[in-house]
Amino acid sequence: MNDYVIETIGLTKQFGGQFGVSNLGLHVPREKIYGLLGRNGAGKTTTMRMLLNLVRPTSGTILLFGDDYRKQQDKIYRKIGSIIETSGFYGNLTGYENLKILAQLRGQHRKDSINHALEVVGLHSETKKIFSKYSLGMKQRLGIAAAIMHEPELLILDEPINGLDPIGIHEIRKFLLSLCRERGTTIFISSHVLSEIELLVDVIGVMHEGQLVEEVDMTQLRKRSRQYVEYAVSAVNTAALLLERQFNISDYTVCDDSIIRVYDCIDKRGDINKCFVSHDLTVTTVHVSEEKLEDYFSGLIGGGGIG
Amino acid sequence: MANLLYCEFLKLKRSKMFLISFFGALVAPIFMLANHIGAHFRRPDVIFNMASFYDDTLMFTLLLIGPIVYVVVVAYLFSREYTENTLKTILTIPIKKTTFIISKFAMLFVWLIFLSLISWVGTSIFSVIFHAVFGLSEIGAAVAFDYLVRFMLGGMFMFFVVTPFAFLAVWTKGFVVPLIAAAVVMTGNMMLMNTNFNAIYPWTIPAHFVLSNEILHPPVYPYPIMIGSIAIVSALGFISSVVLFHSEDVN
Repeated sequence: MNDYVIETIGLTKQFGGQFGVSNLGLHVPREKIYGLLGRNGAGKTTTMRMLLNLVRPTSGTILLFGDDYRKQQDKIYRKIGSIIETSGFYGNLTGYENLKILAQLRGQHRKDSINHALEVVGLHSETKKIFSKYSLGMKQRLGIAAAIMHEPELLILDEPINGLDPIGIHEIRKFLLSLCRERGTTIFISSHVLSEIELLVDVIGVMHEGQLVEEVDMTQLRKRSRQYVEYAVSAVNTAALLLERQFNISDYTVCDDSIIRVYDCIDKRGDINKCFVSHDLTVTTVHVSEEKLEDYFSGLIGGGGIG
Repeated sequence: MANLLYCEFLKLKRSKMFLISFFGALVAPIFMLANHIGAHFRRPDVIFNMASFYDDTLMFTLLLIGPIVYVVVVAYLFSREYTENTLKTILTIPIKKTTFIISKFAMLFVWLIFLSLISWVGTSIFSVIFHAVFGLSEIGAAVAFDYLVRFMLGGMFMFFVVTPFAFLAVWTKGFVVPLIAAAVVMTGNMMLMNTNFNAIYPWTIPAHFVLSNEILHPPVYPYPIMIGSIAIVSALGFISSVVLFHSEDVN
């Protein structure tokens, strides 16, 4: 039996005549961190809203912890913590008071759960500041505190590191990793900060125009990532011709007017450089690099970077 | 439900709207006092009675000030989750949408009754002050108690006739449209209060039930029709608010 905490089958959401999400088949394994990537408008937030029962799907099935999400909602959603985009709290209340309302409605998990959650996100000393006076980073931290306060089995986090400073991002990343590794919390996270996702996730799903174009284990992805040598030369066409004729290399890509990436014969880069120079090409840069997630991502959705 | 209602109270901590509505509830008693002081100086020989104080406050509250102050409270209660972006935080706890919006109506009822009480207390204090300075007839606890019941009844009626504004607040997710509609309703009150229509126009009907003297043109329709008119408006407002809130996606 599959051990997926989140599984969607043919999940679709139409807005008017347009597909926000189309025929989505997600598989989020238990006790793993799943990263959902996609450009703005790819359908990530709509997907998360549907998972949280905030938006009704037009069609399709959502299974949470193996059960239909509409059955036993009370039981299922108490095991979930979430942040959807920016945090929403009452501006006239302090962080503690906001969390107290949530704890009151949920039924407090532990006596010290509010203080503990505030301590984890570093807001425990801001006892008198009301939410409307919080900075963007503090607001986001409070959102994280609200999401983890009841020690959920599943965290659904939409852009949780928005507005955090680099130290804050590092701390939250460390905390999420420890939640997953030590407590076995399953985390379903979306972010535009690819480098952060890369460092955090076990499985990655890529959405484009409402569809899931790839769902892959990071270990496999890393194996797939290839090294290449990037040459900055004065004439890429001549360089390409030399690669094919002199070295029998066809696995290369021309990136722009001066950059050519060669994926084959990495160890022959000295000879290739010598060849270029001897054929009157000016070589300004030679460096060995590895395909990063961003390159993979750009290749997958056919564009430059993500929004 | 009790938990949700308790949380609605928690949410009001440091809320300016609570203070605004408190002072709003005192506007009618202040108008009434000013009205009586003016009348006293025009006709010093006339001695007012305590009931006229309460009646004037009730009239200002139900027909003029109430539609604005009470609708501000309605709009605040029903739109704040949208303006503060808190629905996604609350509903994912999870809280059933229907239970959540019914708790809002319960809170509205408590709030409006509280405002009616404030208006009654304000009127009572002002009438005692007026009595001490200029003199009032028929002043006593029995009159005050009789009008306490009328004020509570007035608050209750107002709760029923403001439910359509809750729908407007949920629909437009803000203050502006409910307040424009409240201004229209208030204008309607002023135009219709002394016509035959005051017995079928839902927002003038509460005054027929709680005012003791004939400030309004006497009703030309039987009481069941008047009650029916309020019931229809109230049911429409309540049901449409619940249905809309339940069916809408949370964005």
